[in-house]
Amino acid sequence: MHYANTYLEKPVVPDVKITGEGTTDVLKCMLNTGSDIYQGACKKRGSTLKEEYKNASGTCYMDPRDMAKLGVNNWDTVLVKTDFGEVVVNCAVSRDAPHEGTVFICKGPWANTIVSHDTYCCSDPTYKGIRCTVEKTDRKVLLMADLMRWVYKKYVDEEDDDVVENMDSLGELPVYHGRKWEELIDHDL
Amino acid sequence: MTYEPPVTDYDYIVENCTCAFCGCNCDDLDYLVKDNHVVAVRHACRLGASKIMEDMDQRLLVPMIRDENGELKEVDWDTALDKAAEYIANSIRPVFYGWSETSTECMKEGVALGEYIGAVLDNQATICHGPSLQAVQNAGYPIQTLGEVQNRADMIVYSGSNAMNSHPRHMARYAVFCRGYFRQRGRFDRTVVTMDPKFSDTAKCSDKWIGFEQNGDYGFYNAIRAVLRGKELYQDVISGIPKEDIYELAEEMKNAEFGVLFFGLGLTHTLSKQRNIDIAIKMVQDLNKYSKWGLTPMRGHFNVNGFNIFMAFECGFAFGVDYCRGYPRYMMGETNTIDLLVRKEPDCFMVIAADPGAHFPNGANQHLANIPVIQIDIHWGPSTELADVVLPGSFIAVECAGTSYRMDGVPIYMKKAIDKPEKKPVVMTNGLSVN
Repeated sequence: MHYANTYLEKPVVPDVKITGEGTTDVLKCMLNTGSDIYQGACKKRGSTLKEEYKNASGTCYMDPRDMAKLGVNNWDTVLVKTDFGEVVVNCAVSRDAPHEGTVFICKGPWANTIVSHDTYCCSDPTYKGIRCTVEKTDRKVLLMADLMRWVYKKYVDEEDDDVVENMDSLGELPVYHGRKWEELIDHDL
Repeated sequence: MTYEPPVTDYDYIVENCTCAFCGCNCDDLDYLVKDNHVVAVRHACRLGASKIMEDMDQRLLVPMIRDENGELKEVDWDTALDKAAEYIANSIRPVFYGWSETSTECMKEGVALGEYIGAVLDNQATICHGPSLQAVQNAGYPIQTLGEVQNRADMIVYSGSNAMNSHPRHMARYAVFCRGYFRQRGRFDRTVVTMDPKFSDTAKCSDKWIGFEQNGDYGFYNAIRAVLRGKELYQDVISGIPKEDIYELAEEMKNAEFGVLFFGLGLTHTLSKQRNIDIAIKMVQDLNKYSKWGLTPMRGHFNVNGFNIFMAFECGFAFGVDYCRGYPRYMMGETNTIDLLVRKEPDCFMVIAADPGAHFPNGANQHLANIPVIQIDIHWGPSTELADVVLPGSFIAVECAGTSYRMDGVPIYMKKAIDKPEKKPVVMTNGLSVN
């Protein structure tokens, strides 16, 4: 059976090759978060456990000049830190460049880890305009389920961040005891 | 991306369905159905098509509760509902959050339960257009319908909103490219201005991009208001924009026949929050001295506006309604979900058609790790990773019918297209079968 396809492994980003080792280890930036069409399509389809969501939502879009300062290329990993937390995400050249000094991470569990919860009594957290630092890292970007376990530790006894980060991955499919949808639905999909 | 051939292998088409994605509520979609599953969607944008042709791997079909090892386990409906009821009944400060991706009929049941229990009812407006709703109470609501925009508007301003990414058909169907009664030539009859610090995809197809600096929106709108009121600007550059450009823009806005300001989360999520919207509404009021202007918030979910309209009608407050004293109370910054969670007040959290795991800041979500969370949703998402009871729902506008409110406040009936995926009955050891 042929379906119309809405799946896309990675967002389309400008194919810019950054050369050189970089001039700085830690880059001070302004962080904005929000939605884009790749993140929206993946989230609303419900594919949040998949690699696709990790690439769509856990990606830091940067100006190519900022990337040159750090010496990183498309789909390298970077560590983004703010006053509210830190998270490892991919980095990629922004489709909306130039915006030197500003980085953009789509909303999602990765961005949530580092945005401000201050509402200033206005109900709305400050999702945009947060000061952050970006640095190159070797750590890998966690899948959604692993990230939720690493950040909130609701159902693990371990308190140590490093230990939880290196636990076995929960994978790209729901983990539960019970019948899966293939067993539940009669017709052949 | 590669070329993809059109889908020809389908049983029948369901015409004129309503999209259950964003506040545009496009009601002209055609679903191509095969074996009771939507295999393709015509007329929808990438987002709408993606949502309707859902990912079955993560579809929730069975009720689940956490066992003592912290793992989700399938149970029958009675056990799951008993567990959820137990959590709610034993709580002192329950919060029922969500509602924006469900029908107004469902909200009716929710508010009845919330009033009975003494819960806080809140929706996604609390993390998106909450400041807009507060500003509407401060300064007024000069709104028009999207039909008026299509037929009359000759100047469209997007401010802090990337319509091409988050409301992809908004420009095509309602605001920019579409032809209207007084705008027969469509795009050529309209001027499009985008105000955004980022050169967004919307800015790329606009006539003019105003790239004011980050958090500079408040100063920029005040400068336009000053010019509209005949004042002179003393600074040469305001919020990163040269004053000559502000004069030019103000003149252009004054001379429009019918202008509309669409504003998004770029205004509500920055530091000035509701003051940004206050000043934008007042700018529209000032513009009405010269010409006809209106504004519309770019609401995200298809029924986020519905909850606000419904609650304002039912109890007088749009969102963040606290029933703990038996009567509705509302206080910005006190009875809103994020503030409650950051203060660690709730002791039971029910999520209905929403995803706090994906959208709340860490500081708020940390408290969800301490309290029981009940989730009612159709897909396994980040919130499921924090949920203690998971109750599967039906896909509104595809598997069941309902009413939703478009971003301009027009109610739209969403019809049912296919049946809910069937479930084989479970045969229990005692010979009885359930659902």
